[in-house]
Amino acid sequence: MNDRMAVRGPDGSGIWLSADRRTGFAHRRLAIIDLSERGAQPMASADGTLMITFNGEIYNYRALREELERKGYTFRTESDTEVLLQLYADRGPAMVEQLRGMFAFGLWDAPRRHLLLARDALGIKPLYYADDGWTLRFASQAKALLAGGAISREPDPAGIVGFHLLGSVPEPFTVWREIRSLPAGCTLVVDDTGPGAPRPYYSIATSLAGREASSTSDLAHARAQLVEAVHDSVRHHLVADVPVAVFLSAGLDSGALLGTMSDLGARNVTAVTLAFEEFRGSPQDEAPLAAQVAARYGARHVVRTVGRDEFERDLPAILDAMDLPTIDGINTWFVAKAAHEAGVKVALSGLGADECFGGYPSFVDVPRSVRIFRSFDFVPSLGWLSRQAISALMACGLDLHPKAAGLAQYGGSWEGAYLLRRSVYMPWELGDLLDRDLLEAGLRRLRPMQRLAAELRKTRHLDDFDRVSVLETALYMRNQLLRDADWAGMAHSIEIRVPYVDPFFLAALPPGAQLAAVNAKESVADVPNRALPAASRNRSKTGFVTPIGGWIRETAGGNAQVSLSAASRAWALRVWNAGWLGPSPSAAAPATFELAPALA
Amino acid sequence: MTVRILALVGDCYGARGGIARYNQDLFESLAVGGAELLVLPRLGDVAGLALPAGIRQWPPIFNRPLYSLVSLWAAWRHRPIDVVFCGHVFMAPLAWALARLFVARYWLQTHGIDIWTPRSGLQRSAVEAADLVTAVSRVTRRRLLEWADLAPDQVRVLPNTVRDIFAPGPAAPAYRAQLGIADGPIILTVGRLASTERSKGHEAIFLLLPALRQRFPGLVYLIAGEGDDLPRLERRAHELGLGADMVRFLGYVPDAELPDLYRLADLFVMPSSTEGFGIVYLEAAACGLRVVGGAGDGSADAIQDSRVGTTVDPDDPGALLAAITAGLQGDRVDPTAIEAYRRPHFAGIARLLLAELMDRPLDRPLS
Repeated sequence: MNDRMAVRGPDGSGIWLSADRRTGFAHRRLAIIDLSERGAQPMASADGTLMITFNGEIYNYRALREELERKGYTFRTESDTEVLLQLYADRGPAMVEQLRGMFAFGLWDAPRRHLLLARDALGIKPLYYADDGWTLRFASQAKALLAGGAISREPDPAGIVGFHLLGSVPEPFTVWREIRSLPAGCTLVVDDTGPGAPRPYYSIATSLAGREASSTSDLAHARAQLVEAVHDSVRHHLVADVPVAVFLSAGLDSGALLGTMSDLGARNVTAVTLAFEEFRGSPQDEAPLAAQVAARYGARHVVRTVGRDEFERDLPAILDAMDLPTIDGINTWFVAKAAHEAGVKVALSGLGADECFGGYPSFVDVPRSVRIFRSFDFVPSLGWLSRQAISALMACGLDLHPKAAGLAQYGGSWEGAYLLRRSVYMPWELGDLLDRDLLEAGLRRLRPMQRLAAELRKTRHLDDFDRVSVLETALYMRNQLLRDADWAGMAHSIEIRVPYVDPFFLAALPPGAQLAAVNAKESVADVPNRALPAASRNRSKTGFVTPIGGWIRETAGGNAQVSLSAASRAWALRVWNAGWLGPSPSAAAPATFELAPALA
Repeated sequence: MTVRILALVGDCYGARGGIARYNQDLFESLAVGGAELLVLPRLGDVAGLALPAGIRQWPPIFNRPLYSLVSLWAAWRHRPIDVVFCGHVFMAPLAWALARLFVARYWLQTHGIDIWTPRSGLQRSAVEAADLVTAVSRVTRRRLLEWADLAPDQVRVLPNTVRDIFAPGPAAPAYRAQLGIADGPIILTVGRLASTERSKGHEAIFLLLPALRQRFPGLVYLIAGEGDDLPRLERRAHELGLGADMVRFLGYVPDAELPDLYRLADLFVMPSSTEGFGIVYLEAAACGLRVVGGAGDGSADAIQDSRVGTTVDPDDPGALLAAITAGLQGDRVDPTAIEAYRRPHFAGIARLLLAELMDRPLDRPLS
């Protein structure tokens, strides 16, 4: 298991087994805070009663440490890991509510015979676990659990259906029945009876409702709040004992990060930009504009050009590193690869800005769809009949997007409209792709519409902007973007930090209606003291494209004429056919570490 | 706070068999922790029996409609009920309805093949509505999770426990003579001989006896247990030419006598394919006897993944012969190997599960 994760932590490895050999942790280290050997993991508390294996960073660890020191706690290292141990000693599992950062950890409390598993509020760092009733195993990668050889590769229909539906596997499912993802913002305690139910400690909907309640109608104030929130988040995300770089596109979100880094005194920041051979010299090439932004803020600009040949060469490695099937992550793979080649270990990314600033078309499309098609919901079966009729016409040659048939049936509800917007395939199409029994079992267990509705129930008191923001943050960003950023970044030993994905940042923003009123997706250009160049704003309005869709389309067997949506569908099938359920190549490898809290 | 439990079970006190014993162990463990239990069995009369403190058992009712009505009356009469415990999947819809009606948590116990195959309709919904499911083994848990829409954390393994009378030691001096068995190695199977459960592997052992006798002169195979399949097995042994010097059917052996039987034997063999757990493996191992069980069912849990014996494919005669041969040549089992199955540990886990169940919200989110 640990060897499978070597690339995630090339700077060191550690192993711990309890005296009774019933509990064990293994760890791979990517040293970023306290580079000395004292920061090595697994790490024990001074009295040896607590032991932790921790993946991630705690950005407010210094403030927490000062607070603990005032209470009399003493520290042996400069690491954030030790702060976690002492904070647990002080506050128990509730300590997670104090943490600002990205994290997934397992903490063994020997006196209580408890294992605490925890994952950060928004799901930046992954944590997978498998419980066979006797032995609990957990890891940062699902494939690492499989590599131990002790876990069944039996399929989970819910995860498989979820992937074909949405292009990523919705938590808590994976495509393997025995492996679950600990949901974002949850803790889980394992005791002598086994793992309990995941307990949520954070809700994005509640957090956004809180900022609505405390808002004013002053738009100038809202702009100031936006600036302050970005500055505060970037300041926290710069905490490191190694240089922090930035992934720089020609867009406003990453440019604003670089500008803010400059405001905060970061000098000679490495900015990594991805360019494509196909776009060289064309208006679609992001590199020239990114270079302007880099120059404006005095960054060391690294432009890495990628072509179709390299994509094809890397494809086997990409599919191997991909922890769960996904239709995205290729961009991140190459920009992380470029960063690694440039000697970078940590980089900020603009991921998450679209979710909080309303950058996706869904912020307009979903509420509009609900308004237009709501009336269909009042007549039972009208939507269904409409779909049957349109499908019949399409079968006779009417040229429409396959999802168009479901507009009346799905478009009138928030969950249906969102599913239409984000799905790769719609539920009624899956019968052509998946075995009937598997599909039935998967839909029964996944219950996609009920799951979306459950998420929406938490947003009843939010305005439309914030409702979409919650959906995009809790579903698309969490299950797709953040997971892809993790596997694709860590495959190159790059820690990707995401200042726009931070519960403290989200809580500090003005409410959605005000973000919409100040046009936050463009106002972010004004966040740095020296605003982004005007060319960046103009470029952002024309949108961004990459040739990766075309490569994917051709690799998946399509042709250059098919739409991006059709390419996503073809790519989803290509990814799935890479073989997720076959025999494990490392099935013979012994399970290196197991936690056996129950009767084993 | 005293937790009040209404237990719907097939049998408990006043009955014998593994499930009745399991229920007794579980209820006594919970009662010692302060719970109050009202047990409604379908079989087994407690007239004249003194039950442990905190446990009451009503007379048995076999008729299903009447049992349902009496359960409803019992729940009403003894409200508030905190937990409805269901000891068999067939009663799950009733338990589910009572739990919802009386705003109680619902605990479903599963033993083995009763839930290995998917259920449908009301029974499936009733299984999936459980707040807590306990399974006697990992394989039972895994088979349940294959078809039921339950979150893994809702399904816990709570295996059988083994009583303290099962411990290593010499057999009673006259026991061999009492059974009329000549000197020679003894292999032993203990279990109910039911025509509906012809999967304990007796016949597979019959076929190997000639070869085993060549290697171990004087070897005898003892079969303890009663049931409607006994005559068929006796006929089968006769057809194969296995005389009483090679196979002995002992019939029902009382619990008090079982430890001596295990101590007398040299190897416990039951290459089964449908055991939910197999308490007899544990009892044998607790007496120091090495065991051979079947691969693929709950035997692996009792055998603790080879810690106290071996599991083999019941359909592979070569593997079974090799396992029996090795078992007869091996050492006795270290009795500490089954400490985790002793009553104190079992009781501790049972009480923790109850406490955790009481902590769970009654309104269950999506798994």
